[in-house]
Amino acid sequence: MADKLTRIGQTVLLLFAILGLRLTQLQVVRGERYARLSDRNRIRRILLPAPRGRIFDRNGILIADSRPSFTVTVIPTELPDSALPVLAGLLAIQPDDLKRQLEPVARVPGPVPLRRDVDLTTVARIEENNFRLPGVLIRVDPVRNYPKGWRYCHVVGHLGEISEEELKADSSYRRLDYVGRAGIEARYEKRLRGRDGYQYAEVDARGRAIGPLPEKRPEPAVPGCDLHLTLDDRLQNLASRLVAGYERAAVVGMEIRTGAILCLVSQPGFDPNIFISPIDAATWDAIVSNPSKPFYNRAVTSTYPPGSTLKPIVALAALRQRLVSPRTTLDPCVGKVRYGNRDFKCWSVHGRVNLLEAIAQSCNVYFYQLGLRLGLDSLTAYCRSVGLGARTGIDLPAEGEGNIPDRRWLDVRYGKGKWTSGVVLNFAIGQGEITVTPLQLCLAYAAIAGDGVCGHPHIVARIDSAGRTVPRSAYPVRELKLDQNDLKQVRLAMTRVVEHGTGRAARLGEITIAGKTGTAQNPPRPDHAWFVGYAPADAPEVVFAVIVENAGHGGTVAAPIVAKLVRAWSAARAGIDTSEPASESLFGQPATESLSSSRSRQP
Amino acid sequence: MNRRFELGLPVLSFLLTGIGLLAVYSAGGSVHLIRQLLFLPVAVACATVAFLTPRRLLYGIAEWLYAFSLLLLILVLFVGTGPGSNRWFAFGPLLFQPSELAKLATAILLAKVLSIRRDVTLSFRDLAVPVAIALAPALLIMAEPDLSTASVFAVLLSAMLYWRGLRPLYLLLLFMPVISFAAGFSLITWIPFFVLLAIIVFVRLRVLRALSALAVSLIFGLLSPVVLSMLKEYQRERIRSFFAPWFDPHGLSWNAIQSQIAIGSGRILGKGLFHGTQKRLGFLPNRHTDFIFSVIGEETGLVGSLILLGLFAALVHRILRIGRFCRDQFGTLLCIGFATIIAYQVFTNVGMLLGILPITGISLPFVSYGGSSLVLNFTLVGLTLNVAVRPE
Repeated sequence: MADKLTRIGQTVLLLFAILGLRLTQLQVVRGERYARLSDRNRIRRILLPAPRGRIFDRNGILIADSRPSFTVTVIPTELPDSALPVLAGLLAIQPDDLKRQLEPVARVPGPVPLRRDVDLTTVARIEENNFRLPGVLIRVDPVRNYPKGWRYCHVVGHLGEISEEELKADSSYRRLDYVGRAGIEARYEKRLRGRDGYQYAEVDARGRAIGPLPEKRPEPAVPGCDLHLTLDDRLQNLASRLVAGYERAAVVGMEIRTGAILCLVSQPGFDPNIFISPIDAATWDAIVSNPSKPFYNRAVTSTYPPGSTLKPIVALAALRQRLVSPRTTLDPCVGKVRYGNRDFKCWSVHGRVNLLEAIAQSCNVYFYQLGLRLGLDSLTAYCRSVGLGARTGIDLPAEGEGNIPDRRWLDVRYGKGKWTSGVVLNFAIGQGEITVTPLQLCLAYAAIAGDGVCGHPHIVARIDSAGRTVPRSAYPVRELKLDQNDLKQVRLAMTRVVEHGTGRAARLGEITIAGKTGTAQNPPRPDHAWFVGYAPADAPEVVFAVIVENAGHGGTVAAPIVAKLVRAWSAARAGIDTSEPASESLFGQPATESLSSSRSRQP
Repeated sequence: MNRRFELGLPVLSFLLTGIGLLAVYSAGGSVHLIRQLLFLPVAVACATVAFLTPRRLLYGIAEWLYAFSLLLLILVLFVGTGPGSNRWFAFGPLLFQPSELAKLATAILLAKVLSIRRDVTLSFRDLAVPVAIALAPALLIMAEPDLSTASVFAVLLSAMLYWRGLRPLYLLLLFMPVISFAAGFSLITWIPFFVLLAIIVFVRLRVLRALSALAVSLIFGLLSPVVLSMLKEYQRERIRSFFAPWFDPHGLSWNAIQSQIAIGSGRILGKGLFHGTQKRLGFLPNRHTDFIFSVIGEETGLVGSLILLGLFAALVHRILRIGRFCRDQFGTLLCIGFATIIAYQVFTNVGMLLGILPITGISLPFVSYGGSSLVLNFTLVGLTLNVAVRPE
């Protein structure tokens, strides 16, 4: 019996002896080394920053990558107060500001980034003075670089320094980290970011690593995913240049079948690179105080009255209700129509026209009458059914919603019974409170051009992680139940718009464009110029929507822009045809086939 | 030897507590020192009550005490607080950890149940009740979740069963399913375990039994990857770090390295009381609770650390000696239980700080900051003294 108790005692003794041996090993055998490590804690966790994922256009042209930059970091517990003025002087800031900056991190044991993207001169001066600056270290970090500058500033977006609130919300970020602030950079922040790694090192008295720590294996950084966009750099470039001369404008181009966005431009823009280096106050003020709000992505965020670009949709609504046939003529246009005690004007005197000609010539009087026959409810319901007044769900943040003012909305806005049925006249020509985003309009036209079927609009085509494509569910297809015959008639009308109507400026020799002009009133300022067009007219593949704010007539200002974009699109398609016959096509299907099929297919 | 008030026990307890107070002051400052000092009279009072309670009465209320502690363990799951777990009842600034009471109550009930069993074998009849008694609080504590504290119950049960005649081989077989399941999360741990088990059972058991034992082990080992595959990634990570903390590549190991540097840098004589540098820079987490031994190791060196371990060894030895000279089984089993609880906690706590065991949440008896633990340890000493003077 007592034997077993002795055994228990012996077991305890054995376990304690193991502890004693281990203590001896740590404190005697390795004691000197650990004493050295603990002296000013010369063991350090070194951050291995994950490079942010790169962004490419559909042809592999680089849009965003990372470049090395110098970061000044400080180990607050090792920086003596006496070194503060020296450091502040070298960084060209006030010592008090520096002190304030260091206060919240005073007890952090590791190196804390103090200033990012420091120029080489400053780095050299800090290195020269490093004997006076214990605890100050220079680190090389990857930072964002946009080689294309302004061209993608809205769609790809830009980065910004993380805010205190965001830091609190997500502890995996650190002070001075950059996060996506707009566009793809914000929407795909999690994918692009990657995961920082750590390396453990023994450092000398000046904080320089003298060797890895054998006790702890490094955790390598995981680079962010690379994004391959649907955008075509050639079209993006051209679109940016075409609207560069205007104060405010937006362009969206989309492949009908896939929903791939080919170009998305908003004017004015800014250089996204300026947010990486410490930004100077003058540049910042210039951007923020610009009344045109350069940060605004007008193509997806801004909402405008669609103007006459709404007419094909109103026509479809009327055709569906069998209120008119394509050849029906209504009361002749004498330049205006009287409703209630108000004159509703047309931009010209069109005489007696049928529905097709009313679209081609953009006759307001015809559409006033059509609006009255349709009534407010049918009109708004149809607009909604083609996706107007609702977010499209594109993979971009801050998408605008627009407004399709129905009975309920008008009751709230003006009070029950305080508005007249006359509003429907204005809505029928796309004026008044009815507003849409350029992207919504582009998508509605894609549905019309694509026999009611078009792809879900998207910017990111593929996400690659470490060279391998990340599998993800395919984008859904948008399918609207539209009458094929009605669509054919309205498309015929839109072909006539370009052939001999208001959109003649969009005429191209080699490829037929169809579309609709729009001139949205914007009192008291000049009108907005719209043109939404698709091509080829007989077998549509792409849609472009262009709005130029306060520029006047859609037919004269916006239509030529679309024509040039379609020509560039066609050239790009043909170009790939000859240069890379065997490779994967740019536009989803083998280019040769698509060309021939577009010629042979009859509408 | 009998019927004598063992002066050594209270002396050792106060010595250890004194060392603890100094270390708590060094690591946590005067706030924690004062709080811990306030608990000391409570602890001494509990010890006195435990000392004066007739053992027959204790024997009689064992089930009630156990039931009460289980109730508290259930309650704490719903109203408890703690970092990422429900471990404590909070009464204003005071925290009470019901698992401490559960250790004591389970030890007493196990002692009572096993005192009427002799020559325990690996059979359902002999083991069902004691295993159930230890398992219930262990499972409830695992749900908090606090795996390390739950493991105390396994060791407690093992020591008592061993004393009552269960052979070590059968103890191994008793715990084999659990070990197999935990080891099964990685082939690196499972293969050595399985090979070792195979060698032992084939040497010591008949072929048929050995094979069935291996089969059971295989089933439980295969169970863990199946369980893992059914879970989401983040849940898997949690399970892995729960069952196999040594598997966690980030996080905890950094603390372990910092703790080793602290202890190692103390060298033979230490940096001097209150002069540790690691703790000052904030490298040591939970310095005044679970990591208190790192502070002692850094400030008093090998000499101080060995003295502390020596004091613990002496304490355990004295408790076991009291158990040896006690004439009733209940008293002896109590002493074995208490000695096991203290020795196991010391070994796992110091072992993790020395980097030979995974980092878990076990505190150092008498020394770590924490009221519930201090009260429990003093109560254990009071009960042991009770056994010493009244060997009924």
